[in-house]
Amino acid sequence: MRIGGLITVLVLAGIIFAAAFFITDEWVESNIEYQASVLNEAKVELDGFEFSLLNLQMKWDRLQVANRNSTMENIFETGETEFSMEFWPLILGNKVIVQNVRLTGFELATERETDGYFEMPEIEEDEEPGFLYSVVKQVSGEAQKNAEVRFTDIRDDMNVDSLMAQINLQSVDKIDSLRNGIQQNYSKWDSTFNNTPIEKEIATAQNTIESIKVDEIKDPKKAVEAIENIRKLRAQVDSMKTKADSLRNNFQQDYGSSRYDLGQVDNWIEDDFQRALNVAQIPDLDVQNIGKALFGQNLLGDYAVYLEYVAIAREYGSRLIGDDEDLEEIPRYEGLDYEFSDKYDWPGFWFKNIELSGRTKSELGISGVVTNISSNQEKTGEPVLFELGAEDENQVSLSLNGEFNYLEESPRESFNFNYAGFTLSEARLSGSDLLPYELESGKGELNLNLDIVDRRIESRIDYLATGISFDFEAAGEPKNRVESLIRNAIGSTDNVDVTALVDNIEGPLRVRVRSNVDDLFMNALRQTISQEVENAKRKIEAEVEKQVDGKKEQLAEFKQEKEAEIQARYDELQAKVDEQLARIEEKREELEEKKKELEDELKNRVRDRIGIDFK
Amino acid sequence: MFLIMRYFAKLLKALASEASPGQIAGGIILGMIIGLTPFFSLHNLLIVVLILVLKVNIGMALFSFAVFSGVAYLADPIFHSFGIWLLELESMQQTWTNMYNSEWWALTKFYNTVVIGSFVTALILCIPAFPLLKYGVVQYRKHIHAKVQKWKVVQAFKSTKFYSIYQTVSRVRG
Repeated sequence: MRIGGLITVLVLAGIIFAAAFFITDEWVESNIEYQASVLNEAKVELDGFEFSLLNLQMKWDRLQVANRNSTMENIFETGETEFSMEFWPLILGNKVIVQNVRLTGFELATERETDGYFEMPEIEEDEEPGFLYSVVKQVSGEAQKNAEVRFTDIRDDMNVDSLMAQINLQSVDKIDSLRNGIQQNYSKWDSTFNNTPIEKEIATAQNTIESIKVDEIKDPKKAVEAIENIRKLRAQVDSMKTKADSLRNNFQQDYGSSRYDLGQVDNWIEDDFQRALNVAQIPDLDVQNIGKALFGQNLLGDYAVYLEYVAIAREYGSRLIGDDEDLEEIPRYEGLDYEFSDKYDWPGFWFKNIELSGRTKSELGISGVVTNISSNQEKTGEPVLFELGAEDENQVSLSLNGEFNYLEESPRESFNFNYAGFTLSEARLSGSDLLPYELESGKGELNLNLDIVDRRIESRIDYLATGISFDFEAAGEPKNRVESLIRNAIGSTDNVDVTALVDNIEGPLRVRVRSNVDDLFMNALRQTISQEVENAKRKIEAEVEKQVDGKKEQLAEFKQEKEAEIQARYDELQAKVDEQLARIEEKREELEEKKKELEDELKNRVRDRIGIDFK
Repeated sequence: MFLIMRYFAKLLKALASEASPGQIAGGIILGMIIGLTPFFSLHNLLIVVLILVLKVNIGMALFSFAVFSGVAYLADPIFHSFGIWLLELESMQQTWTNMYNSEWWALTKFYNTVVIGSFVTALILCIPAFPLLKYGVVQYRKHIHAKVQKWKVVQAFKSTKFYSIYQTVSRVRG
């Protein structure tokens, strides 16, 4: 036994342990921050981080996850959080498995003191922005559009010229661009017909036909040879005919393709018209739209925010799933790991149970449990489940229950959000100028159900305001007849029940908002501004039509003319081919006749000489 | 270059020194195990501790580690295939499963084809290598060492100033 060696081993072990003890905090913190920031595409910061090697315990005083779309804001932040990692998964597989997390001070959408921008390392970008983000965009667009509709500003004496100056009519440019496209296509086909070898082949065939002098053939054998040649020529000309036909088909297909379809022009004009209506803020007076106009901005705006959180969850879920893929190639000198049981088949990370507490933006204390957040649900066999709730002394309650399930082939997210008992005093039910009144009293309840399976979305938002009374006095005297009629209509209403449905069950995304006061508003509007709205629409429509007047017809004429020119070129080519075919046929008949004549002559001579008749 | 030469001189000296043939063979054997198997394995930690604690020749262990690391690089595909054969042995399945399910055994990574293949190969080699090496050292001391000392390379090296300094330092350090 070497005593010096033993001391060396002990000293080395001591140094390693001490080094690990003193430097792991910073090292682990910076690694977690970096990896999480890469995943988040914006800064993830930990304050007051501590890591204990003895019991593998992690703790931080504050965690901030910056919003990559608005880097001065956090998606969420937490206060003091503490958990212990399991020893063996960390040692054997570098996997973070946590049984229980105590997470306090959870808050959504908080402001940051510093910019959360993070310089991303160069990695491959996802080619698709994601289905849910596109739905968020569409719903936000609907909310924005509804926020812009003005009902009470419709005037009969609308200045259409100044309105049109604000709108860049796109139909005219698009028509010109289409005309250029047709011209280029025409040039292409003109050149194709000019350069086709068929013309030359026709000329060659013609020479060949003319070189066959039937009268000069004196021998039946020569006649048979000439017939064979004419048969070959026929095959060549048939092939020319096929080429010409294919040329015509390609031309017709190309010219008739949707790129050159004049039907688009009507759509462009309609788009310009709709844009003009939007800029002029002319409402669509339809009972189907009134609910959307009244409550769409508020409800759909909130809905888009919730949906964005789901989109983030799905995006992160899909990013993490790929992390646990096994390497197919065996790196040299690393060998292959055999798995004799599924004991170590852990995901990259797995937070089994998170006890969460925090505050909502409305200062409502919230608490609950989130279970099974993992990097691979297939390995845990468990979807993410969350169950959060809150209630205060004024009976204001909030609950959020749901599931993010990526266990099957199609990802599925579903949740229910309920916020009830909140006061509506001094609140406005709608952002629309039709309902600008604050409420004197009332209680509100918001319920959101969302179910998304892969790209199929089905959701319903119910908003119920009960015991309400509008504060008309604060708004002063009605400014016009519309306001006066609306006040009369809704003055006796003590509840408003709104339902918004967002789904794509039957195809494209549909956004519908209906309420129990739609008819009241529609009646008031029909009695007042409907005529003004119709007049304004007619004026705008007439102006748009004027600007594109005749353009469509000119384009149709131009297209027809060019098409006819090419068609004439084809017809000419076709006629030449047909002519050659006829001449070949004619020549063949002549040759057959000549052959027969020569054969008969030969037979007669034989009969005269030897007395045998071969007929 | 001088360092390498000095190292070889040390090795040659060790062969002829008072260190027992067992200590020299032990150093080579332990170095061989580390060299043949993946370096960052749990069993190698134990081997390193053994080298430090047992009175084996550390210089020989380092030399052996360097030589057998090169051998291992070439023999990697063989270790991998041998590992597959071992891990798929029908009669061993229960043992492997039990070892795999025990976290402490799992730390050894014996479920890896190269680790188990190279480790078992190294152990098998130890059995004939240890007595052979011991015998080799004895034979070297008896028959070869004197001849080696007469080699021109060795003579030339011994006549350098560096060697005399090294000798002085060695004497001072005991």
